[in-house]
Formats: sequence, structure tokens, C-alpha cells
Amino acid sequence: MNPVSQHGYAYDAWLASACMPASAVRKLLDYYGSSEACHEAVCRNDDGLKELISQRFFQLLYSTGTKETLEKLQKVMDRHGIRSLVFTDPGFPSALHEIHDPPAILFLQGNKECLRDRSLAIVGSRAASYTGQKAAGRLAEDLGRHGITVISGLACGIDAAAHRGCLDGKGLTIAVVGNGLDRVYPADNRGLHDDILKNGGLIISEYAPGEKALGWHFPVRNRIIVGLSRALILMEARIRSGSMTSVNHALEQGKDVFVYPGDPASDCFEGNHQLLREGGLYFTSANDILEDLHWLDNPSAVRQNSDCVQGYKPSTPEEKTLMNALKPGALSFEQLIACTGLNPSVLMSTLTILQIRGVIEALPGKQYQIKH
Amino acid sequence: MGIMASLLSFGVTGVNGYQVHVEVFGTESMPGIEIIGLPDASVKESKDRVNAAIINSGKQMNPRRITVNLAPADTKKEGPCFDLPIAVGMMIADGILIPDPPTDLKSVALFGELSLDGSVQPINGALPMVISAKENGISTVILPDKNASEVSCIQDIRILPVSHLRQVIAWFEGKMELAEQKQVSFEALKNEAVPVVDMAQIKGQKGARRAVEVAAAGGHNMLMIGVPGSGKTMLARCIPGILPPMTFEESLETTRIHSICGKLQAGKGLMVNRPFCAPHHNASVASLIGGGQDAKPGEVSLAHNGVLFLDELPEFSRSALEALRQPLEDGIVSVARVRRQAQYQSSFMLVAAMNPCPCGFYGSNRRTCRCTPPEIRRYLDRVSGPLLDRIDLQIEVDSVPINEINDSEPSESSAVVAARVRKAREIQLKRYEGTGKYCNAQLTNAEVKQFCTPDAEGTALLNAAVDSLHLSMRAYQRILKVARTIADLAGEETISSAHIAEAVQYRELDQKYWR
Repeated sequence: MNPVSQHGYAYDAWLASACMPASAVRKLLDYYGSSEACHEAVCRNDDGLKELISQRFFQLLYSTGTKETLEKLQKVMDRHGIRSLVFTDPGFPSALHEIHDPPAILFLQGNKECLRDRSLAIVGSRAASYTGQKAAGRLAEDLGRHGITVISGLACGIDAAAHRGCLDGKGLTIAVVGNGLDRVYPADNRGLHDDILKNGGLIISEYAPGEKALGWHFPVRNRIIVGLSRALILMEARIRSGSMTSVNHALEQGKDVFVYPGDPASDCFEGNHQLLREGGLYFTSANDILEDLHWLDNPSAVRQNSDCVQGYKPSTPEEKTLMNALKPGALSFEQLIACTGLNPSVLMSTLTILQIRGVIEALPGKQYQIKH
Repeated sequence: MGIMASLLSFGVTGVNGYQVHVEVFGTESMPGIEIIGLPDASVKESKDRVNAAIINSGKQMNPRRITVNLAPADTKKEGPCFDLPIAVGMMIADGILIPDPPTDLKSVALFGELSLDGSVQPINGALPMVISAKENGISTVILPDKNASEVSCIQDIRILPVSHLRQVIAWFEGKMELAEQKQVSFEALKNEAVPVVDMAQIKGQKGARRAVEVAAAGGHNMLMIGVPGSGKTMLARCIPGILPPMTFEESLETTRIHSICGKLQAGKGLMVNRPFCAPHHNASVASLIGGGQDAKPGEVSLAHNGVLFLDELPEFSRSALEALRQPLEDGIVSVARVRRQAQYQSSFMLVAAMNPCPCGFYGSNRRTCRCTPPEIRRYLDRVSGPLLDRIDLQIEVDSVPINEINDSEPSESSAVVAARVRKAREIQLKRYEGTGKYCNAQLTNAEVKQFCTPDAEGTALLNAAVDSLHLSMRAYQRILKVARTIADLAGEETISSAHIAEAVQYRELDQKYWR
């Protein structure tokens, strides 16, 4: 028996590997019904093809349509547990039918159950600030705990923090990537990639196995991240950045855009503040978002902000002075000395004790802040 | 028949001097000068210098065949230090210099370089040579006057500094007495010691000042991370000034190494300021550790008993940093080359500084860091675990500019800090009497268990810290050592929870950067 025809994934991969525009692939599939039928048509140089695709793509499909290539693709997909979904399949995420230029073929790895109504996209800068990453992680954790699927792009920075946070909250998370599913990009996130799969998450791509992560893939895949979610949450972005393309997709698709109000003094958040001025939705916690989306059916599941601080009673006068000084926001060691008047060695001991109790946290740059 | 002259001189191998017999033999034969006894190029060339110097000192050599033998004949001789004995030997062998009264040449050693006009030039390694002369029972040493001050602390040996060959000739002929070098006691020199950078010049930075004090008090190696311009170099430069003053033995060891490298300041005696070596980050392994054809000492040995400051630590080549491990561990470095092997002492305090990321502004709220997380990780990874393992204190230097802190009170001066450091060191000296250790940084893991056990509350706190701040076992040992030093600074015998809590702050980079 021919192993290729047994399940048609390899034909899907073959069709996707030509990197044709999604609209052209959709037309082909509409005309012939399935990728296997397309393969047959290409092999016999069907007349109808001339109407549907250019000569260049025909050549490409013809040359890659050999039995060896297909078997190779099949092997790769079997090894990595990659399945494909064509836009005509009943299981294809319905949310994607509603966007402009939906992907024709999706490749999936992991748990398909993640695709559900209550999902939110978290996006932001790759070179994100420490506070931005912390906030993204905390938000994703709360959302995950509340049963919301968190969708992001498996990039460094905010993306990674969001996935990681959602996993910490025992939630399901989806990563939409810009390369073939047989590889992990960036390589640093391999651990995260494996953890997502291990914890019932899903990795999605519209690129065939073997496809490299090219620069132009990322803004294109952003439409899928937005398309799969009910709303977009922007954590941290400069004015000219990739995250802003996601915002544009969200506006085109008529999705809500929640914007995290970062520190106005830092230029890491300049995009956030511009969007807030233009009408982005303001939020400070998972609670705010769930309330706005009317998803708040179980309020107790959402952790209250700063509950651990409220629960902690300073046990010495030094601790009390220190906590009062830190209440307005993060301060550096030297500023703390100036504010509290404590001697450096006493201040250091006090900081350690509060850190151990989990009341404050140390930030890079010798800064300290009360843990939220 | 010819005339034979035999004089004593000294050469240097490693940091030790060795006795060299300069034998000169003149015969009536084809005129010429031959130098044997494995001379290197600079020794071979000395015949031309010597000839000119003799003429310019008012003597005229007769045409003779002169053979100069430098015994022991199987050791390679190098450097121009044999010019002076060769010149004197040649004149005696030629019969134009007759010692009067017949000096006992067995009790006189001489060395120095000659220039063509007959003046005597300074040489490298005078200190080890004089020490070796004293050990060999020599009573009088004639040496260049510019080398006189570095040996002025050596007792029980007559030092006769000279500036011109003419003086030496006159002394041998008994026509003139040479002024003896005055003995300078080490105690007198010590009073001249001044810190290069005084801590009073550092404004703010109270946390880092405290860390520097703790590091100095326990002899701990230290790493500072901070944005450019936060004052890391300035803080490092303060450290030699707050370390306890050098003892005579320490000073002798350090001066010896500086002497053979020719790095002593002219006119200064034994070194009283602890050395501060700050090699640039493109330094090669050989320049750091020692090497070259003659196995010369490197920066780690020049920093012996002082501070080795490595600014921009991750920019140093990996091999250079790895090579630091042996000297850090043993306080001694063996340099082996084909021609020569040598062991140099290299017990120094390592002070390193680095930026938190390639652009330097990670964690700063002045400027935004433009580095990606993998870039930062790669940068930090250049500092290997085993090296970090040998650094007890890691601190972050606050980036907040002083004008934002509104700190009007004057900073403490080095003298005040040094007094506290000295007290803490005295406690340590007493505690480790007989073990060969003199500061907390030198403790092995077994000794940490013996000397650095905190009270029950302290132990509980440390265990809680290791759990909640995710510290490694390696950090655990370091914290105990540093806590011991903090307790010593406070003059307390038991390590309490406050000492532990402060020590934990000096491992914060383990939590933030190297997790």
C-alpha cells in the first residue's frame, strides 16, 4: 500500500511548501477538492491549472511533487506528530473563516482542544523590559487559571513570558509560529516549546515542515494569532514595532484591543500610550479584561492584586519604614538609603528578609519593589 | 703567561638571584674579546660597551686576547647586568687596574649596566640579587645608584651605589671611598603610604562602599555589575588603600617581582602601597599569567599581595579567564617554557567589573537597553561557572546619579574604613593562627563548617533564603564565608541572622543574572 495516500497530510505539506499566497491555494483546493487531487492534476498537467496558478508555481509544484519528496514530508510529519487542517475541513477553526485572507492549510502539533471560544492573544516586544515581562507573565497566569486559552507567538520577551505564565497558571496555551513545525525558532525557546506540548498546549503554523523562519513570515502569522482570539492584549510596544502590526490586524478584524498602561517614563511603552490615547481599552489586571468581555462567571478564581502584601504585617520598625518607602513604586538601593535613613548593612538585611518572605522582589539595576 | 681575575656577580632566574663567577683571563696573543658561559645577545654585546666605557673612564686597554667566562657555564646568562664586573675584570686581567690594598674579591659582588660614556645604568632584578648576595655571605655590593633605594631595606650588607665606572676604578685602586647607602627602615617607609584614590572622593554608593569594605576585610574576590559610569573602576581603585598595610615579608615578595620586571619607581624603596594591576581586556594569557621565552611574571604576579582589577570581565578572552583559576586557587603560578621554568607567587584579590549586558543599560531607568535576551545570556555566559565559583561577593552597583539622591553628608575617608578593616583582619589572624591562613576568603569547605557555623536563627534564615531565592549550594558556602567576615567587622563571635541576611545581598546576581 502506498504510505502517502494512506493519510493525505503529506499532500498538504507539499502544497504548502511552495509558499504560494493563501488565496491561490484556497482557489486550487476549491477547484479540485483536496490537495491529493491537486497533486494528481499537477502530475498530469491539467488544463484548469493555467487559470489558477502562475507558470512559476506550477514548475515548483511539479518538481517537488515526486514520490520521494512526499514520503520524506510524510516521515518528518510522523516523527514530529504534525497534522494538517485544510480550510474546507470541518475541524478548521471557524474564527479564521471570518478574517480577511485566512490561511488555506494549517499545520498543528499538540492538543487541538485548545482551539476554543475563550481565547486571548498576548503580544509585545521581544526586547521587553523586566516589568513588562513580569506583568505579562502574571496576567497570563491569571487568565490561564481562569480557563482562558492564551495565544502568542513563541518569540522571546513578552511572548515567552505569556506562554510561561499561562503554563504556571495550569492553563492551555497556543503558539502560532512563523516556521515549519519540525524546527523551533528561536532555539532558546525549545524548553518552552516542549513544555507547551507537554502541558496540553498547541503549536500552529501555516508553513510546511522544513520551512525556515523568514523575517516576512512573522507579520503574516500575526493575523492568525489575532484571528484565533476574541481580543488582543498589547503588553509593551514601541510605536514602530511588529506588535503594532498585530494591533492593525485586530482593528481590521474588529477585535477589542486591551492595552497595558506601562511606565510613561520609559520609552518601551510609547506605543501603549499612543494606543491608549487613540481609544485602546485600559486594564490593569485579568479581572478588568474578563469583566469587559463578560466572562467573569467565577470571580474567585482570579487572584486579587497585591493580596500577598496585604497579608503581610511588618514585624520590625525597619521593615515598616522600608515598606512605606516602597509603596509608591520601585526604588534603587541608594534611593532607599536616602528615603529611610537606614544604615546600608541594616537595609541589606531587611531587604533579604522581606525578599525571603516574598513581600518584595529585586529588579535588575539594584532596584526593589513590592511584589504584586 | 697571562693574568687571571675572578669577580662575583649575580643573575636572576625566576624571582631568585644566583651567584655568577665572572672570570677574566688575558694573554699575549691575537687581540680580541671572547665571552663564554652561555651568554645571550645582550651579554655578548657587552664587550663593545665595556671597551668604550673603559676608554671613557681614562684607562687604555693593551692589545690582548681576553677570555671572559661566566660560571656556572651551563646556565643561560642574560641582560646587561654583567657589564660592570666584566669591565673591572678586564682591567685587572690587563694589568691596568691593580687593586690596592689587594681587595678580597671574594667578599665583593658587583653588577650594573655600562653605557658607552662609562656611566652605570640601572638594571632589573637588583633586589633578588642583593638578597641572594646576602645569603651567599657577601659583605659588599657595588650596584647602580638608581637601584640603591629598592635594596635600602636589606640589613647587614654594605651597599655601595655608583654612578660612573671611574668611581669603581678609584675605589679598587684605593684612591676614593664610596658613600654607603643609608639603611631605611621599613617602618619609616610605611608612613609614606598614601591611598591612590581615597574613599572620601566617592559620593553616594553606600551599598557598594559597604560591599568593598566587606570584601577588603575578608580578602574576598569581588564582582561588580553596573551600567557604564556608575563608578565601578573608582571603587576598585580604593581597595588597595583600605587593605591592611603590607608586612615587611609581603612587601619584599611583591617588590622582588616588580624588581625583575623593572617596574619599580626610581628612587622609591620597597613597595609600601599594595599593587593595583588593571590589565586591558585584550590581554593575552601570557601577559596575565606570565610567559614569554624567559618565563617572565605576568599581571597576576605583579598584583601579588594587592589587587588585580579586570574591567569589562566578559571581554577578556575565554582562555585568559580560565587561566586565572590556578593562581586564584593556589596563590602561586607555575610558568613553564622550553628554556626556563619559574614559579611566581600570585596571591591577589580579584576585583572584576562588568556591564549587565552588551549595551550596558539593562536594568537602568536612564536609558533603555537594546539587547535581546539571548544576547544578554551570551554575554553573561562568557564568564564561566568555575571562575564565578571563586568570587565570593557579587554586587550590583546602583545606577542612580548622585544628584538625584540629595546626599549632602561627606563620605567616610579611606583611613576610617581601613581602621575597621584592620580590626577585622586582626580577629581573623588570631583565629587562624597556626593554620597558615590569614583571612576568611582562604577557608576551605571543611573549614567553613568549623569556623562559620551561624546560630540557629541564622541557619534557619539561610535555609529559607536558599529555598525562596533559588540559591545554589555553591552560593551557600560563599554566603557563610562572607557572613563570617561581616560578623568579624562587627566584632562578634557568633554569626547571627542579620549577618547572614546581609551576606545574601552579596549573592543577588545569582538570583537575577545567572539563574
